[in-house]
Amino acid sequence: MSKEQKLSPVERIKTESNGLRGTLKESLQDEITGALREDDQSLIKLHGMYQQDDRDRREDRNDKKLEWLYSYMVRLRLPGGFMKPEQYEGLHHIAGEHSTGIIKITTRQTIQLHGIIKSHLKPTLKSFDSLHLDSIAACGDVNRNVICSAYPDQSALHHQISQYADKISLMTLPKTRAYYEIWLDEEPLIDKREDDPLYQDRYLPRKFKIAIAIPPNNDVDVFTNDIGLIAIVEDQQLKGFNISVGGGLGTTHGNDQTYPRLGTVIGFIDSEDKVLKAVYETITIQRDYGDRADRKLARLKYTIDRLGVEMFKKELEQRCGFALEEAQPFEFTERKDYYGWHQNHDGNWHYTLFVENGRIFDSEQAALKTALFEIALSRNANFRFTGNQNVILSDIAEANKKGVEKILRQYGLEEHTTNAGAVRKNAMACVALNTCPLALAEAQRYLPSLISKIEPILIKYNLQEEEISLRMTGCPNGCARPYAAEIGLVGTALGKYNLHIGGDRLGERLNTKFMDNLDEEQILQTLDGLFEIYSGEKNTNETFGDFSHRKWIANN
Amino acid sequence: MLAEGKLKQLTQLVENFSKEELIWVNGYLVGLSANGGVQPKISTNGTAKVSKISIVFGTETGNSKRLATLLATAAKKQGIQVKLIASDQYRTSDLEKEEFLFVVISTHGDGEPPASARAFYDYIHQSRSNLVHLKYGILALGDSSYPQYCKTGIEVDQQLEFLGGKRILSLQKCDVDYEEDAQQWIEQVLNIVGQNSDDILPGSSPSLKTKTKTGKKFYNGIIRKNINLNDRGSKKQTFHIEIDSDEMINYEVGDAMGIIPSNKKIMVDLILYYAGVDKDLIVETDKKTGTVEELLINHLNICYLLPSAIAKYATITQQEIPDTRIDLVDLLELYPLGDASQIKDVIKILSPIAPRLYSISSSPVAHGENEIHLTVSRHSFKVNEEQRFGLCSDFLGELPIGTALNFYIHKNRFFKLPDVKRDVIMIGPGTGIAPFRAFLAERDAIGAEGRNWLFFGDQHFTTDFLYQAELQNLNHTGVLSKISLAFSRDQPEKKYVQHKIVEEGHDLFDWIQNGASVYLCGTKDPNSVDIEKALLQVIRDHGQLSAAASKNYLAQLEQENRFVKDVY
Repeated sequence: MSKEQKLSPVERIKTESNGLRGTLKESLQDEITGALREDDQSLIKLHGMYQQDDRDRREDRNDKKLEWLYSYMVRLRLPGGFMKPEQYEGLHHIAGEHSTGIIKITTRQTIQLHGIIKSHLKPTLKSFDSLHLDSIAACGDVNRNVICSAYPDQSALHHQISQYADKISLMTLPKTRAYYEIWLDEEPLIDKREDDPLYQDRYLPRKFKIAIAIPPNNDVDVFTNDIGLIAIVEDQQLKGFNISVGGGLGTTHGNDQTYPRLGTVIGFIDSEDKVLKAVYETITIQRDYGDRADRKLARLKYTIDRLGVEMFKKELEQRCGFALEEAQPFEFTERKDYYGWHQNHDGNWHYTLFVENGRIFDSEQAALKTALFEIALSRNANFRFTGNQNVILSDIAEANKKGVEKILRQYGLEEHTTNAGAVRKNAMACVALNTCPLALAEAQRYLPSLISKIEPILIKYNLQEEEISLRMTGCPNGCARPYAAEIGLVGTALGKYNLHIGGDRLGERLNTKFMDNLDEEQILQTLDGLFEIYSGEKNTNETFGDFSHRKWIANN
Repeated sequence: MLAEGKLKQLTQLVENFSKEELIWVNGYLVGLSANGGVQPKISTNGTAKVSKISIVFGTETGNSKRLATLLATAAKKQGIQVKLIASDQYRTSDLEKEEFLFVVISTHGDGEPPASARAFYDYIHQSRSNLVHLKYGILALGDSSYPQYCKTGIEVDQQLEFLGGKRILSLQKCDVDYEEDAQQWIEQVLNIVGQNSDDILPGSSPSLKTKTKTGKKFYNGIIRKNINLNDRGSKKQTFHIEIDSDEMINYEVGDAMGIIPSNKKIMVDLILYYAGVDKDLIVETDKKTGTVEELLINHLNICYLLPSAIAKYATITQQEIPDTRIDLVDLLELYPLGDASQIKDVIKILSPIAPRLYSISSSPVAHGENEIHLTVSRHSFKVNEEQRFGLCSDFLGELPIGTALNFYIHKNRFFKLPDVKRDVIMIGPGTGIAPFRAFLAERDAIGAEGRNWLFFGDQHFTTDFLYQAELQNLNHTGVLSKISLAFSRDQPEKKYVQHKIVEEGHDLFDWIQNGASVYLCGTKDPNSVDIEKALLQVIRDHGQLSAAASKNYLAQLEQENRFVKDVY
């Protein structure tokens, strides 16, 4: 890191923000605009919100002498993706009253609502507060929502392990009361100092993500996180966690210095105290060593590669005051959601519902939103959101299973889940157009129709049962983790995508860019060709990702 | 045209006159000719001097009031005692005691008196008073484009005579360009009741007196832009229309534009179909002869016919038709003509299409003198459960770019910006913002130093914030010093501009005390009524005045032209 480099503008905004307050109160009172003052647009991210505008409407609004259609996305902090039915009921109402009405499950197990106008922000956050939900640090240069393997039946220890998500989330919360003052009208405490030993006044150089995985399922894509904790379970006992550091997928088109990186497992830690300490100090190293001049090179992955993994580990052990043990063996065999009904070790049931691109709304085929609301009202299930943007109706007692089933059938959801094709059910797309300011191309609005065109090709080669992971993003920043998929489509311009292949199915090997700037016809043609060769030449049980890697990537 | 002898007499008479005297004589002679010759001199108890007159005004837009005030001021200058009073304040029992009464009254809608003059109007129509002592003169304001031009003034004039009053000068009718005619009437009044004077109308500009009457000036415009300012999802449609003209348009900010809309061709086609009439049939009315199609499209009202017209239609076609107001097309469908030739008589019962007035939303200084802008909201209403739209707003909203449009300027000399140094408070909910867009553009262009504060409101922030982007720019550059907004349907409880006025009461009163002028534009009911109440509350609360004192305070502002309304 060259210290002479000028700090990025966001650094000044953070340090001068007086504990993330900035001029947010004044911005909210500016009646003439639906936007915030410029600096506040950066700060609001650390409160869990993004200012966006409907990019489809810009030109039309210019003509009408209206400013752009500004609105806000509010993302919840929801460690482990867990929500009680009471909370889901409230969420349903808030979505209807203040947002577009669509409840969006993110790729990080939380919920975000779009299209909230400025004057509705405070009422929205107040309503969430009454449900004991908040959006603190859900976006921005802080540790974001901590995710954890969602399947209660994966291990009897699921509950114990998922507690770590809550503990880490609390430990890494900013100490400022700004959120409460600005959004919930809490009286400012005049004398109180808000020392924040973790974030100081600088916060982190860039976003920071933590995931906890319970093998054998890597549903959280643990290696794509800055810190990954992999639970090591032996004889039904939690022994501790392997810790992986330096994962991250975001890249920038045309910037060779940027690259996706999977986390490196650097050791094993046995006790809770030590796990929390190691997480904490990994963050402080990134705080102190991360690049604050170039935001494109600021993630922990670049810090680690600059320092070298060994140097980083040494620094971490020094800060922790203990040495990391040698990593324990573990094996991931899957990275997926288990759709349909499954029974837990304790006899309770859960049902995993397919939610295409995580968007909960009533469509002609399936009244998802209504059904989930009724299930919430019945209080017979908890809600767990998965890292693949689906929802698990969980902890359903045997006696209540029939009732939930009835609602699922009534609104066509069982069919909806069962009938969706294998590729569709394992696909992911980010939000992209029309609200994401970074988007270069479509993603969630487009992927469903593209899959409908890919499905006949799969059928042609009898591949329709293959759970090939296909992920699409509207830009190279990687929100839907396209580089950790067997097929990645990364938007470069409207209607154009880079095609990546050769990633493995488990999220342990990144894919490689295969072709540039393909339009829809070229994508379909290329895939047709690849699928034909794959279906003819693949080994038994060889996934498309592994085959592609062997055939087209490794030897080139 | 004057015989040589007479010309010589006249030349001798005026040779020592000052310029002012000549101007006065000019007006006097015009007045004489307008009244068909020399008026018999009124006997005023042996002297030429009247000591006391009453002036009653019945006003809707404030024009009658201004003219009445002008007369009062001039009469007072001559030492005449003047009682100036609004018709709704006038004690009708005083009528029998009046000796000299002058009434300035306008006509509205379908020949109606102004709402504030209704009681006065009804009284003189129902009363059996004996007005033998009364000597009177009427100034009637109206718009000649309407069929019932100056009807109220005409009726008041006739009724006072009927009750025994003596008309001391003929009724003066004034069109929308009333200034010159009104001026002459005032001069005549002063000539009759006062002493001859060469300083009759201090403060009125000489150019007004010498201006020759040109009639309503129509401009040929071309639509350059026609944008619906409301965004998708709005319940409103508000058209921003930009019109170019080859000639310089003589207007000022605060003026209105008059437009005579056309009927929709498809409706006329239907009418001709039901009537079984060829579109090229030549027909005639009092004012116009032409093909039946041309008359129906461009000249005659076919919407929502008056009960009187429907009664006449019943007579022509010899049918029983209940009292109702329906469109001509429906009338022809439900109660067909006996034979196609009856259409000629039916055409005669139709009134001309009435012009509509819209506040102008541009400034000649800022937008150029060949360009003029309107802000028109699509007027929607329900007739028998059916959604209908106002003829003119519909007409304007559908005008494509490049269409020709004739229009005239309707001056509003009272809705004008104050001195550049004075602060301005503008209250304009909905399309009430139109003249204030013009005000702000003008003040920006001329670099006026006074501060500007706008109150605006509508239904939704995201879809109905008219001219938001422009207002933001003006706000950034400091021209729009302050803006207060109320979007009624963005929160559970309805919030309107009047609530914002009360909320901002402290600053608002401060501005007013500091000399600010307050302008109000918008629909009369409910907007302006509620807004005035809110202003009174602000004055009461922050001026710590009694209810009566705050009313006086506001009335005083109005008198000083510091509280000016343009409501419709």
